[in-house]
Amino acid sequence: MNRDEAKTILLLYRPGTADAGDPEIARALELARQDPELTRWLAEHCARQEALRAGFRQITAPAGLKEQIISEQAAQERTISWRQSAVLVAAAIVAALVVLAPLWFQHRGNEDTFAIYRSRMAGVALRGYIMDLATNNPAQVRAYLAQNHAPVDYVLPTPLGKTAVTGCAIEDWQGAKVSMICFRTGRPLPPGEQSDLWLFVIDRSTVKNAPPMGSRQFVQVNKLMTVTWTQGDTLYVLGMEGDEQTLQQYL
Amino acid sequence: MAEGIDFESLVASYYEPLYQFAYSLARDEADACDLTQETFCIWAAKGHQLRDATKVKTWLFTTLHREFLGARRRQTRFPHIELEFAAAELPVVPPPTAHRFDAGQALEALARLDEIYQAPVALFYLQDCSYNEIAEILDVPLGTVKSRLTRGLGRLHQLLTDTTTGAQPQPPNL
Repeated sequence: MNRDEAKTILLLYRPGTADAGDPEIARALELARQDPELTRWLAEHCARQEALRAGFRQITAPAGLKEQIISEQAAQERTISWRQSAVLVAAAIVAALVVLAPLWFQHRGNEDTFAIYRSRMAGVALRGYIMDLATNNPAQVRAYLAQNHAPVDYVLPTPLGKTAVTGCAIEDWQGAKVSMICFRTGRPLPPGEQSDLWLFVIDRSTVKNAPPMGSRQFVQVNKLMTVTWTQGDTLYVLGMEGDEQTLQQYL
Repeated sequence: MAEGIDFESLVASYYEPLYQFAYSLARDEADACDLTQETFCIWAAKGHQLRDATKVKTWLFTTLHREFLGARRRQTRFPHIELEFAAAELPVVPPPTAHRFDAGQALEALARLDEIYQAPVALFYLQDCSYNEIAEILDVPLGTVKSRLTRGLGRLHQLLTDTTTGAQPQPPNL
């Protein structure tokens, strides 16, 4: 290593740092100790390096920068925390909906299925229908229903069995046939009407959540008072305009 | 892992040297503040990914340097120019002696260096970073760092000598 090479190497030397531990610099320093000219050059170089380091280190951060960085970050964390909380709450709601929705709809579905069936049949009676068979002969009604594969093995309560039949129709409930038997109670009828009491008979298994055996449910559906019961595999809905007490007379 | 490092302690330890580095690169107080703050924001978001807690200093300086380069690229595409109307009214500062430089002189000389020498020279003087650290921060090989430092320091010294003696600056000798 000659003097010029040593100077080039020592250009990177910073006194008071770990630079002296660099093998190349260490060799150049050793050479500088033995070479008076290089010694002088090194002294000047070290003084210049110190002056430059001091000059650069006069750069000072503005007052309050540290506090600003910390407070900005704290605000950011609060925002993120709020957002995370909102996201977590939203996620929890969605998760709850996902879990509960099928149960809810299943529950609603079970309730609604029977309620809708009853409401639909009441609507048929109230809003008009065309009798498939107009007859006052109960046997003909059964024969017609049997011929058309509608429920026919229904059992009428004794009072209802004594009520005059006016005919029948076959309705549809989700692909299943419903036997509609029409009666006339003897009360005055509105013009054009032939019946004022209707019985709907369907296979119980086709209506979810049908009332259990041994109970009768009286429910008002619009203008129609209805009573529902189950006997064997058959579900019955009987309806007429009036009150529960009036309807009770036919059971 | 760096997860256990307290944010406030980290800021207290490094905001000043990071600001100095940022200012030496950007030479604008507001930009330097932004760079410093952005560096700590990035640390808050991604610092936990740093596996070796002893690399925090290097990580911070690397991040700041990258942010500076990114900002400069954006500024090149969309230049922001400020008119310094007051420049002519500033007092004339007498030339310093050869071994006394203030920050303004040092930064002015630094600014006149080719860009590839500025960051290594700034890290060299400001932070007492080792050559390996500088290489890691700037993501260049150690040999390149030494080469750039040698040329950059030589040119810096030349510029400062010309300034203090009143000589015309020489073109860079690369």
